Amino acid sequence: MYLSEKDVRDIAAYTRIGLPDEEVAAVTVDLNNIIEGLKPITEFDLQGVEPTFHPLAGLVNVMRDDVAKPGLSQEEALANAAAHKNGQFLIPPILAGGGE
Amino acid sequence: MRDLSSCSVAEIRAGIATGEFSAREVAQAAFDAIAQREPQVHAFLEQTPELAFQAADAVDAARAAGGVLGPLAGVPMAFKDNMNLQGTHTTCASRMLESYVSPYTATCVAKSLEAGALPLGKLNMDEFAFGSSTETSVFGPTHNPWDLTRVPGGSSGGSAAAVAAGMATVTLGSDTGGSIRQPASFCGVVGMKPSYGVVSRFGVVAFGSSLDQVGPLGKTVADVAATLDVIAGIDPRDCTSQNLSAGPDGKPAAFSQALEQDVAGMRIGVVPAFIKAKGVEPEVVAALDGALAKLEGLGAQLVEIELPHVAAAMAAYYVIGPCEAFSNLSCFDSIRYGYRHEGARDMGEQYERSRAHGFGMETARRIMLGSYLLSSGVYDAYYYPAQQVRTLIIQDYAQAFAQVDALVTLVSPRAAFRFGEISDPTAMHLSDMFTVSTNIAGNGALSLPVGLGADSGLPVGVQIIGPQFRDGEILRVAAALERCYDFNRLAPLARGGEW
Amino acid sequence: MKDLLSVLRDWEAVIGLEVHTELTTLNSKMFCSCPVEFGAAPNTHVCPVCLGLPGALPVPNKAAIESIVLAGLATNCDIEKQTMFYRKNYFYPDMSRNLQVTQGPVAFCMRGHLDVEVSGIAAKERQFYEGATLLDEQTGAYVAHINITRIHMEEDAGKLIHVGGTDGRISGASYSLVDYNRIGTPLIELVTEPDLRTPEEARLFLQKLRQTYLTLGISDCSMEEGSLRCDGNVSLRPRGVKEFGTKTELKNMNSFKNLHDGLAYEICRQAEVLESGGTVRQETRHWEPAEKRTFSMRVKETADDYRYFPDPDLAPFDLSDEFIQQVRARLPELPDAKKRRFIDAFGLAPDVAGSLAGDVAMAAFFDAAMSERPVLLAKPVANLLLNEVAAYLNASDVSLAEVRLTPLGLSELAGLLLEEYISSKQAKQVLTLMAESGEAPLQIIEKHGMKQVSDTGAIDALVAEILAANPDKVVEYQGGKTGLIGFFVGQVMQATKGQGNPKLINELLHKHLDG
Repeated sequence: MYLSEKDVRDIAAYTRIGLPDEEVAAVTVDLNNIIEGLKPITEFDLQGVEPTFHPLAGLVNVMRDDVAKPGLSQEEALANAAAHKNGQFLIPPILAGGGE
Repeated sequence: MRDLSSCSVAEIRAGIATGEFSAREVAQAAFDAIAQREPQVHAFLEQTPELAFQAADAVDAARAAGGVLGPLAGVPMAFKDNMNLQGTHTTCASRMLESYVSPYTATCVAKSLEAGALPLGKLNMDEFAFGSSTETSVFGPTHNPWDLTRVPGGSSGGSAAAVAAGMATVTLGSDTGGSIRQPASFCGVVGMKPSYGVVSRFGVVAFGSSLDQVGPLGKTVADVAATLDVIAGIDPRDCTSQNLSAGPDGKPAAFSQALEQDVAGMRIGVVPAFIKAKGVEPEVVAALDGALAKLEGLGAQLVEIELPHVAAAMAAYYVIGPCEAFSNLSCFDSIRYGYRHEGARDMGEQYERSRAHGFGMETARRIMLGSYLLSSGVYDAYYYPAQQVRTLIIQDYAQAFAQVDALVTLVSPRAAFRFGEISDPTAMHLSDMFTVSTNIAGNGALSLPVGLGADSGLPVGVQIIGPQFRDGEILRVAAALERCYDFNRLAPLARGGEW
Repeated sequence: MKDLLSVLRDWEAVIGLEVHTELTTLNSKMFCSCPVEFGAAPNTHVCPVCLGLPGALPVPNKAAIESIVLAGLATNCDIEKQTMFYRKNYFYPDMSRNLQVTQGPVAFCMRGHLDVEVSGIAAKERQFYEGATLLDEQTGAYVAHINITRIHMEEDAGKLIHVGGTDGRISGASYSLVDYNRIGTPLIELVTEPDLRTPEEARLFLQKLRQTYLTLGISDCSMEEGSLRCDGNVSLRPRGVKEFGTKTELKNMNSFKNLHDGLAYEICRQAEVLESGGTVRQETRHWEPAEKRTFSMRVKETADDYRYFPDPDLAPFDLSDEFIQQVRARLPELPDAKKRRFIDAFGLAPDVAGSLAGDVAMAAFFDAAMSERPVLLAKPVANLLLNEVAAYLNASDVSLAEVRLTPLGLSELAGLLLEEYISSKQAKQVLTLMAESGEAPLQIIEKHGMKQVSDTGAIDALVAEILAANPDKVVEYQGGKTGLIGFFVGQVMQATKGQGNPKLINELLHKHLDG
């Protein structure tokens, strides 16, 4: 076993997914099975092998010129937001117990 | 009148150019076909008749004015619902984005529209492209037009089914580990994942940024090539896009040109290890053997190839994919767009409730997996070695393509399965066993239908893999092989109708 | 609490700085084409990339990469050709994608240094000179050699406003508002080695860094508006001990004075904790200038694990020699070199040269004023700039660029001063008029009749006239009441309408009276 149920709860908390208690056990089993399946990558001698983070066949230094262009209007920017106020996105307080 | 469902891109364009029919008539015929077949297939998440007729009228006006018709003029086209089209929904088949309306358009979609395509709508998929059956769509699965009790494959299930059902002439899908090729094989259509970087990813909702590639699905290799000609090319808004190696005139050659060359004298690689893999159905191997025999008959030379590190491709894929997905899907936080849980006491609670409810289980699983694999200590045990393994897989392919011009192998270990037949996530992940390595390495690959399986009676495809950035070679082999088969790419339910 | 000097006698303070600088002089953001501009209506300088809309992709701004390479070259860093952008993953509402694009173990600029000269009373804060070079044993002036670990490229976050609590604080707020205009503003972060030993060194280091960035023109470096932000890490160890003590991280030091005072307070606070047998807690503390003390901020329960990994959307870098060479060619003369030149070429005193070289606008104005002008004008030009011009700008709250004073005009004025054509007092008046009207000094002097009369013949005649008109005073003077000289000078000056050269008047009076 790679992950305990507590580990899974911690990971869920880190990813900000409120995992219901009744699902923790099943997710723990699934994740452990998947991780078990990752073994093959640990079976090669990787000493001295450079990693390839970007399969770009050597493409480097991709940049754009420093030219400003207009983006979205405020209305467009806010159009998909569940809540907004005075042109800004409205969110609940960062810390609970607001207004106390 | 002609059955427009069976028409190719070239036939539609020619029909409009000669005045045999108008683009508006084509659009109408497409929506008639959708009205008839969509209730059974459920390939679409949104239909956009207004946009399609508007585009059709523009094509007809251009023709009337004697203007040049675009390469996809009047072609009924639809897009996987992870591609942004301004003013339409982009849901990724997730509750998270159920009400999201795009304020901008993806480059691949914009290029299609500029080429005169008629946008019919947005297509069903596995939620955020995590899956191989389109069963994880929160809006219900797509049914395989060949057998409605079976899955169309995934994640681009809607894209494959729409073509097989004759509802769209070509569609765009995205492929992170086989998500174009496997559904193309299940639905008996042609589907291509170009080399990484050939098509811009700008505006396509990311799953695994270093693995994702957009590609076309169509009834014929020619339709796929014509569409790829339109959507390919460097995009200043995607750093990872690049032009193919320039031809002698300094310009990249059109993919369509590759179709005319034959394969006599070509060296075709076969990978014995793939055929011997556990869980591969005999009918799939038989179909591949048949295709290889035909290629030999065309004068190609078969060469056995070893890809020693490709055995670890699945593992590398299930490290890299979830890691990138974990980070990419962090943007869904309920603030600027997306599902929001109401009445949370604080931001933390809103994050957790919104993401728990907005994401499906497979999505949540992959996000958590990625987060774990990137955590300190674990990074060095999995993520870093996975990227080293990627180097070895790239080298395997490079060595293979020093010996052969293309590889011809399996797409999927089996034909389309029934709904609910595979419920274990690890077993479902095996659907990708022959396709993921090209996403890891960045090579292009295409799935070509080669008939119906001897046992299942369902479409079976073969996969053609090419050297990185030499996607024309893939199309060349595919076109030659296609000419050997007389296989109707329309599913029976779509045949015989008149548009 | 003990005062800083006595604390530093027993303890060695170990200070490192992290300096964030927004590249405000660029046209567009780090990874998209939205304008870099402040004060716009909320969420009007945003696009799919800024808002982290699904499907958006970042593309780096070439000028930002050039700017950080410029900053690295100016601070003696090695430029790393092969680098990548990384993603730092964490949830916070001011980051639209809940990740920040930054750099990994290898930044564009690594292993640099800046030397800081410390003199005057503040030099006393350093009581041991290990790692520094003593310049003057009497005054204690020294040069501290400060190593720079790295300068990396990243992007700024959006702005949160907390509503409903007190003073816009996060705790007690009933909701918050998010404006993403600032998100994606190119940001460079410089990290020093823990080489600083006194708050004054920290202050001078930041000042020098700011002068350097301003000279490069990569940022407006406004600490007030937050385009230059500095955090400090401080720990104490007993004199002679090698091991580091537990450090605290200090935030909210948004001026040079606050940087100095915040560090000084924290050093004294830690000393008190340690001397009373306590231990320093590793934590982040907030400097509150109004209360002149630091406060502990919320302590995080778990260690940060940002899940760093190379950003797959951004192609890696392998900068060419040519690219670096092109940036190097744009490197302007830096403050140290400028100071040296002002001393060597113009004979300015080191402190005058340093003050001038530290102000980009003043130094450029000085060079323009001295262009093809005799070297002997340098001192009056420098003095006029640093005293009269600076005072005028300060009083009228304008910048040098906003006034109508021209470099040529200033050097002409300096020449007139040097020739005693006008007095210093007059020069000040003329300067004010020049700044307001843009007219040449001679024009102003003529218009206002301010010319200093140094015509010996004319003044001699006036002297004779005044003495003839006051025979009794002359007798008194010659009888020993030499204080009457002031009366005669005043009379002659009045006759010249205040424009007589006082030195000449004196001379001639003495010739007549004493002769």
